[in-house]
Amino acid sequence: MFSIPKNAVYRRINRRKFLELGGGAATALGAGGLTLGLGSTITRSKVQAASTDDAKWKQYAGSKLVFMSENTPPSFAIRDNIKAFTDKTGIEVTILTDDLPVVQQKVGIDLRGGKADYVLNYVQDKPIGSPFADFYADLTPMFGDETLPQDPEGYGDDAWFTNFLSACGRFYQKGKIIALPYDAAIACTFYRQDLFEANSKDFEAEYGYRLEFNKDSTWQNVIDMATFFKKAKESGKDVPYGYAQHQGSFAWTTQLDIQRFLFANGRWMDWNIDDVYGSKEPGKTNWGDEQSVFMLQKFKALADVCHPDNLANGTLELNTVYQSGNIAMQTQYHEFAASIEDESKSRAAGGKTAYAPCPKGDPKWIKNGGEPVNGTNCGIGGIGINGNASDDLKRAAYIFAIWSVSQDNQYNVLKGLGGTPTRKSVLEREDVKKAAQRPTTMPNALTFDAVYNFGIKDPNFVLGPKIPNANEYHSILAGEVQKCLSNELSPEEAAKSIQTQLDELNGAG
Amino acid sequence: MASREVIQYETPLSRAFRWFSAVFLAFYVVWTVLPLFIMFMSSFKDLLEAFKLPAVGDWAGVTVFFEFTPTTKHYYELFARLGFTTYLFNSLVAAGGSAVVSVILGSMCAYSLSRIDFKGKGDLFFWIISTRMAPVVAVMVPLYWIFRQLDLVGTLPGLILAYTTFNLPFAIWILKGFFDNVPYAIEEAQMIDGATRFQALRAILPLVAPGIGAFVVLCILFAWNDYLFAAIIGSGGAKTLPAATRELVQPQNIQWGQIMAAGVVTTLPMMFLGLVIRKYLVTGLTMGAVKE
Amino acid sequence: MDLFRVRQFPDSVESRPVPMSVTEPASLNKPRSKSFYFWLMAPAILVLAFISIYPFFWMIYMSLHDVDIGHVEWNNFANFIKLPSDTRFLMGWVLLAQYSAMCLTLQIVIGVFLALALNGTRLEKILVTTLLMPMMMAPLVAGMVWYFLYNGTFGWYHWLLQSLGILGPKSILASSNTAMIGLVLVDVWQWTPLITLITLAGLKRVPQDQLEANMVDGASPFRNFVSVTLPNLYPVLLIAIMLRFMDNFRFIDSILVLTGGGPGNATKILPVYLFEVSFKFFKLGRGAAIALILLVVTIILGKLLVRVFDRQQPSKV
Repeated sequence: MFSIPKNAVYRRINRRKFLELGGGAATALGAGGLTLGLGSTITRSKVQAASTDDAKWKQYAGSKLVFMSENTPPSFAIRDNIKAFTDKTGIEVTILTDDLPVVQQKVGIDLRGGKADYVLNYVQDKPIGSPFADFYADLTPMFGDETLPQDPEGYGDDAWFTNFLSACGRFYQKGKIIALPYDAAIACTFYRQDLFEANSKDFEAEYGYRLEFNKDSTWQNVIDMATFFKKAKESGKDVPYGYAQHQGSFAWTTQLDIQRFLFANGRWMDWNIDDVYGSKEPGKTNWGDEQSVFMLQKFKALADVCHPDNLANGTLELNTVYQSGNIAMQTQYHEFAASIEDESKSRAAGGKTAYAPCPKGDPKWIKNGGEPVNGTNCGIGGIGINGNASDDLKRAAYIFAIWSVSQDNQYNVLKGLGGTPTRKSVLEREDVKKAAQRPTTMPNALTFDAVYNFGIKDPNFVLGPKIPNANEYHSILAGEVQKCLSNELSPEEAAKSIQTQLDELNGAG
Repeated sequence: MASREVIQYETPLSRAFRWFSAVFLAFYVVWTVLPLFIMFMSSFKDLLEAFKLPAVGDWAGVTVFFEFTPTTKHYYELFARLGFTTYLFNSLVAAGGSAVVSVILGSMCAYSLSRIDFKGKGDLFFWIISTRMAPVVAVMVPLYWIFRQLDLVGTLPGLILAYTTFNLPFAIWILKGFFDNVPYAIEEAQMIDGATRFQALRAILPLVAPGIGAFVVLCILFAWNDYLFAAIIGSGGAKTLPAATRELVQPQNIQWGQIMAAGVVTTLPMMFLGLVIRKYLVTGLTMGAVKE
Repeated sequence: MDLFRVRQFPDSVESRPVPMSVTEPASLNKPRSKSFYFWLMAPAILVLAFISIYPFFWMIYMSLHDVDIGHVEWNNFANFIKLPSDTRFLMGWVLLAQYSAMCLTLQIVIGVFLALALNGTRLEKILVTTLLMPMMMAPLVAGMVWYFLYNGTFGWYHWLLQSLGILGPKSILASSNTAMIGLVLVDVWQWTPLITLITLAGLKRVPQDQLEANMVDGASPFRNFVSVTLPNLYPVLLIAIMLRFMDNFRFIDSILVLTGGGPGNATKILPVYLFEVSFKFFKLGRGAAIALILLVVTIILGKLLVRVFDRQQPSKV
């Protein structure tokens, strides 16, 4: 069909033209490919256990790596400071940052496709770690490798804050560690001290106790406070709403919001699985049991006295609402303190906000015999290495990974852009200790007492559930609970519907 | 295209219609322009100023919208600190590249389709246009997979090829209509005078050139405004303006001032281009089915 | 328009443009030797085949396999069998239909009315140009701007709706009853001008002599509209409807920004659900099955559309 036409004249002209055009295009495309391609390269010089530290750091000088990360402060700070790493090691690292859902998409397809374009990944514990744990390299063999540089503080559980290494590093099997804690978002309570003080009398007259928030305050107290503020606002007083949930469009943070509430009351969990390791076959869910239905009723009761935009505000939007002074209290991740204390963006800055642990469960709400705790959960972003990469690539990536989570680096991020350290030793620095009190130069440090000394410790902390279908679980849970909050389903119906869908999801129907 | 005047008699009904339509038009123009105006103004406001609202029902308070100290810092930050120069360049190259590739390949194909008949031509033609209609989300997964194998993900050539998936069929479909309107007799006459087929094609190109020019612009418009391909296939090495704008929604702060500034940067050039090709818009946006 | 002046047989009625032919060239003569043309066609066809047929077979392959757990395994049509009992899939269709119906009704009613109000007025040119502006905006940017406007804390439109007493303190996207309307308004804002534009083009084709003749016979303008104008508009409106309908399948950028499908799945139209399945849950097999069904429906709609296009052919020439 496509025989060469006999018309020679046209061929002559056309070929020359074509060659010119084609050549130009090919050069352009080729050059584009070279400068923009994502491929990593490796150059290597041999080192032994006895080599100098400097030689170990420099053994992959000339290599190129790609790190796919979420657009959070540590990555921005490290990107700004990447020259320090290149000077130390001779390795060039390209740091790509994206919105978490996009990171999830790209990392997922990279790992599933057996490719290693992104050698280094931001392993956000549940959304990325749970579904893709099997695709990451086990870091434990490299921890003791004498031919690699090592962090003097090591990588044991003691080096990090309680539970951090488990949260982002351990999935489904003992002994394997897939990521080192890189940054952390731990839930705690932000509340407007100034408003609480101003309204204390009125509140006490109505509820019989002082309007204060501390580690013993319960979710029932939160409902009381939210009700009080809502009523006052609706009667025309110049106060904001009292509280708001994270019920916006990002399903994962919605799930966390629901989980905190249920876990606080008797440590209720979605499945009877190990909280640290999770399970690939979680079996039947606990949704639909008496406790879960009752808790949904309470959750709905809380929603009814929340800020009216409850169902539109996800974590980020909620923080904006708080910044703009339109709510008096929020459960928020401690990494947000920096944005709250920024006077150019926030009306809640300048000593108006106080920080406390998450609210506690109420003994009267507990039907399953468990204890009330200050249910606290987290999103801990680890830095992990793509298991598809070659050994040398993995080793080179490891050098970056341990550097990025070193004490000095984390300290710099905290000081510069308001990161959240994961290494305990950062908190032992004198100026960080001092920063935990106002006036402070590191606003995130204001939360450290509530978070690191209390919230993340057992029995308050919940790590999971780690299941391969984590993302669909988040979506199902968020969808059905939101239907309950908007009166489309009763708490019983919502709990049953969640139960059916989750059991179907995990093949446990 | 002046239509002839029709003598109409004023009745109360038609007068009412005229009044109502004038009011409605005025309302609709405001409704159309207002979001753009607010975007434009907010891009010059500091965050806390952008958040100022009057109390509910306080109509006189609308003036707070205008109470602010204009600042260009959002624009400055976009370009000086956040790499928008690169993203602007990426958008230009990706949209322009795909438009040029699509229109060159497309006009070759469209010209041929217009000139010859063969068995299965209708099916071929339908297949071409159906690739344009396919939901982007539906084709994204396999396309990503293939691009990944070829190391095209995160590169400008990859993004150009991705945009070609919708621009090329569009170009073929529209341009065929153009060539159909050029009689073959012109080429025949040329060839009788000794021109080759290729020269004959070149001879008729000036006749369709304005149309082709307009459709290069339309292809640029479609590619420039895309988000899904840019987010999944492009971002990384080839982040475009919409993908970069989305990224300003950061975990700890939604950068509204910068988002509005980025919106202005993304929208203004396209509005300008839209004006330039104003008279081809209907033809283009209806895939050639309707013309003005 | 300069383009169509090249026609050898200029149309006798200047104000009546002939729709572009999609099947036959204007000339009856055809070249005999075809290979030159096949060569010209080849690059475009090859590129298209590479970016559409190859992925298409991939999609079919994936839809028949379990590509969930890192390995690929034949699963006896399980991806398809499970769909009828997947409530989110079924609701996705319902919501897609609702969303499209609401968008289209509003756009057609407003768009046609605007065209009638504008047609032949002195301000037509400048006003149409003004109305066009939203169409040039990236849907993603439109989504973000409207998110900003709707926001319950600092959104001007929220303030406006509240001040007018239309909404309570709850913003439009915060309730599953109104979120869909919020999305529809954005689509209406962006794309009603297209309908206006198309209708204006259609109005120029309405035979003025017939209108006049009727008028002389004493027909009211309203009757004239129903009996002459509307039948002439009908074919272009049909095209407009089909195009907008297919775009509702294609573009979800603004929905992803505005609600992401929430609250309580109230705006999770099928393409949004598909996006979730493929790129959030990574059920690539299930995603491919849904994509395939969506694609088939789109192709059927496309077939209908092309038929409408063809019917638009001028009978003479």
